[in-house]
Amino acid sequence: MTAGHPSAPSPPAGDGRTATGPGRLVVAVYAVLALAATGRSAKQIAVDFSTAPLAYSLSAVAAVVYLLATVALARGGPRWRPVAWGAVGTELVGVVVVGALSLTATELFADATVWSGFGQGYGYVPLVLPVVGLWWLARTRPRRGPTDR
Amino acid sequence: MWTPLIIAVVVGCAALVGWAGWRAVADRPVILRQLVAAGVVEALLVVEVVVAAVSSATGAGPADVATFWGYLVTTLVVLPVAAVWAFAERTRWSSVVLLVAALTVAFLQYRLVQVWAG
Repeated sequence: MTAGHPSAPSPPAGDGRTATGPGRLVVAVYAVLALAATGRSAKQIAVDFSTAPLAYSLSAVAAVVYLLATVALARGGPRWRPVAWGAVGTELVGVVVVGALSLTATELFADATVWSGFGQGYGYVPLVLPVVGLWWLARTRPRRGPTDR
Repeated sequence: MWTPLIIAVVVGCAALVGWAGWRAVADRPVILRQLVAAGVVEALLVVEVVVAAVSSATGAGPADVATFWGYLVTTLVVLPVAAVWAFAERTRWSSVVLLVAALTVAFLQYRLVQVWAG
């Protein structure tokens, strides 16, 4: 952690690390959203699952995906980067599909999920965050040097 | 007793947001004095926990008990994480994280008040 230049505005892109520099912000916001989604789904499922089984199941799925994305982005490296791509990609698909369904097929959603209305209830953070996450993963993609492979 | 405490926390968070934002714009990392300020806000949050526990014990608890304590416990974790990162990340991004952490705590105060009233 002490190897970098203390005054560097951000770490060099392309070293494969996802949790330093601007990545701290990405991980922090993911962690907050993961907590919010986990808390919400735990409460929904514990209190009354039968009210809106589809919405509550989706809340649980969203919570797991956010937790996975947070951990994967915080760890980084060759093992966790593919997990991060998968989790962040799933979120983008989830928020777009569920967002569209929640507006067109309202009868399916008796109660809101994190992804309802494209993340409206969370200031559209669920819609913006995966885009930022994908951009950040692309930006930190490790460069292959001549010594690789 | 309750409302002034909430206001004090929100004012403290607003000060942290401004201070961290200014340092982020100036491309500077978090400094120890900011962490002391964050520590003051954290101490106020601990007082909130005590006040909420005493109120609950004497019969005037939150309308939604589980959600309220979920938010309150979450609130306690946010600033310490930002503080740990301030040591690990000696770039402007520690300032950005402190800014977001203070915003999160302020927003959770708003939710705490909502959930308390029901």
